[in-house]
Amino acid sequence: MRRAVAIAISVAVFAVLAYFFITGAAPVDYTSEANYTNPITGEQSNRSVPQQYLDDTRQDTGASNVVTAVVVEYRGFDTLGEVTVLFTAATGLALLIGEMKRRNLPKEEPNFIVKIASGAVLPFIVIVGTYIFIHGHLTPGGGFPGGAVIAAGFLLMLLVHVNRGLPERKISVTESLAGMTYAIIGLLGLVFAHEFLQNYLPLGEFTMLFSAGIIPLIYIAIGFKVGSELGGIMHNLKGVHEE
Amino acid sequence: MVSVPPVLLIALPLLFAFFAPLVNMWSRKAVKVYTLLVLILNATLSYLLFANVMQNGVVYEQLSGFYPPIGILLAVGPIGAILALLINTLSTIVYLTYFGEAENSVKFSMLYMLVTASSTGIVITGDLFNMFVFFEITAVGSYGLVASMRTKESFEGAFKYIVLGSIGSAFILLGIATIYGYLKTLNFYDIALRIDTMPPTARLMSFIFLIIGIGVEAEIFPLNGWVPDAYQGASNRVASFFSLGPSKAGIYAIARLIFTLLPILSGWQLALLLGVFTLIIGELAALMQEDPKRMLAYSSIGQMGLILIALSLHSETALIAAIFLMVGHALAKSLLFLGVRDYARGTLRNPLIAAPMFIGILSIIGMPPFPGFWGKWYLMKDLASQGAWLIMLVIILTAIVESVYYARFLHRGTGGEKRKLSRSETAAIIILASLLILVGIFPNYLYDPAVRAAASLLGGGP
Repeated sequence: MRRAVAIAISVAVFAVLAYFFITGAAPVDYTSEANYTNPITGEQSNRSVPQQYLDDTRQDTGASNVVTAVVVEYRGFDTLGEVTVLFTAATGLALLIGEMKRRNLPKEEPNFIVKIASGAVLPFIVIVGTYIFIHGHLTPGGGFPGGAVIAAGFLLMLLVHVNRGLPERKISVTESLAGMTYAIIGLLGLVFAHEFLQNYLPLGEFTMLFSAGIIPLIYIAIGFKVGSELGGIMHNLKGVHEE
Repeated sequence: MVSVPPVLLIALPLLFAFFAPLVNMWSRKAVKVYTLLVLILNATLSYLLFANVMQNGVVYEQLSGFYPPIGILLAVGPIGAILALLINTLSTIVYLTYFGEAENSVKFSMLYMLVTASSTGIVITGDLFNMFVFFEITAVGSYGLVASMRTKESFEGAFKYIVLGSIGSAFILLGIATIYGYLKTLNFYDIALRIDTMPPTARLMSFIFLIIGIGVEAEIFPLNGWVPDAYQGASNRVASFFSLGPSKAGIYAIARLIFTLLPILSGWQLALLLGVFTLIIGELAALMQEDPKRMLAYSSIGQMGLILIALSLHSETALIAAIFLMVGHALAKSLLFLGVRDYARGTLRNPLIAAPMFIGILSIIGMPPFPGFWGKWYLMKDLASQGAWLIMLVIILTAIVESVYYARFLHRGTGGEKRKLSRSETAAIIILASLLILVGIFPNYLYDPAVRAAASLLGGGP
């Protein structure tokens, strides 16, 4: 009975939403119609916010990847928040199961072929991950995917070496330092420029590695942070503690 | 007076929370002192910000060097400044109780700092998506805090909270996406200026999505199934922290929604209806509870309904009432949650605890001269002038229900063996009670900021 009611409610909600989205969504021509107002000065403009991002990214930020420019520069404060969400989740998980005392029985080690092959693959995984987050301002990707790729390398090690965990202290220190780097880069913006997270480094030559001001620095910090955080989460879930 | 960039209220605690594990490696004992210092620093900054806003009006701060709505804007109005001060000061006082505890977990202290910072972030931001990000941090941190007791009840509460919280977050995101899809902007003022150009169905939909999502955090009626279990399962400190931090931030977000974002009549009526239901159901459920902590949790729901009614009346007096109710509820409920134990362990036989708790109860019921009284008084005044007799009747009847179950609470709480709380807990309870008395006897210190807040909100500002 309860299940039937739940299904009926879900179907009804879905139908209502589908109806509204089909009938309500009119195509919006945001290049000419939409305008925005600057709430502080009251200035108005005909260009919409997304149009502005597409037009001005190069001169504003020097990044050739517009998505990165939006994520790290235009809405950089949100990204600091998102990094904190991940950090909070990892902390909460560690609070719940990281401090629990569990007894792990030794498991059977895998075949030596698996061990050696995984060891051979690991450096490449780390290199790809590092490449992705270092080139975040030039090519698709960035700190989050790069960090996740590196964490995949950690996962491989955890799966292969069944009786071992990751170096907890080193991971925790990396995580802390990377997070602090991000916050400090932002606070330096308040000192050297006028605003939090404002760019204060030269923009450099467009499409080159050393360009786009603080964006690569922030993405490197995020890469380290995401990699170590996801690694820490997997380590905690596995529950093998090493001294 | 120094002008403090509001972003420091968020960035500094984040930085210090990232640093906390390193402090823990250096010395486990230092973590509590370190956290307390961070919280005190934040409370000081929020006081400076409050003074600045009261002197110079709304404080805007651009971030990343781009003017809004291209970049993110922080906008601290009077109500944001009042709530930021309230959240940061009270969370510092409640953290004091952690010193009396043998347990010392750096993770708990980190989550505490993060949730304080993100609740503050919700009340000082001027950007819809930025608010969502802070909601995420608050919610994720709160799950951990609820579960930190590691008992069956706390896991149950945390799990319910996770399920409802995740669904709520998805709805907030859907609402934001709808608005962004039509208006191509995320800034509150920009949205408010152009909200009329949205088709009415889409506008109503986004309002409903947002109120569903935010209502989970603000403990509003059909979405508050997690509240009693989470409050019952959480430690006293965490329950007390929730009633001063995340729930206030949630109700503030609803106020912003009603006043800045969607100035349409149907929105207010919906909010009013939800408020009345929340009030009635919360108070009736509280009457039926056997467990004192559950009873307080349901009573919190009722109070949230009352605040929502005051917000949705859309008049100056009612808004002043809402601010008094928020402050009174934060002070009184964090006090009560700190002092409450189950009935077999009657903490009320200890006069040092019973007297402050009695003051808290008087404020919640609405006895003069406590903030709860001023809140209900202004609310009644406004309802009478609008001729809303039915809602007045509901509020009076629920106040009677309230006094019945609080009288029972006092009666049964004096049973059992005499029990002492730790010295730090007693100190925190007494500080909170004296704050209640101060705000109640000198309501003008809150009344003037509240008048400014009401004027600013009604004018469409933050």
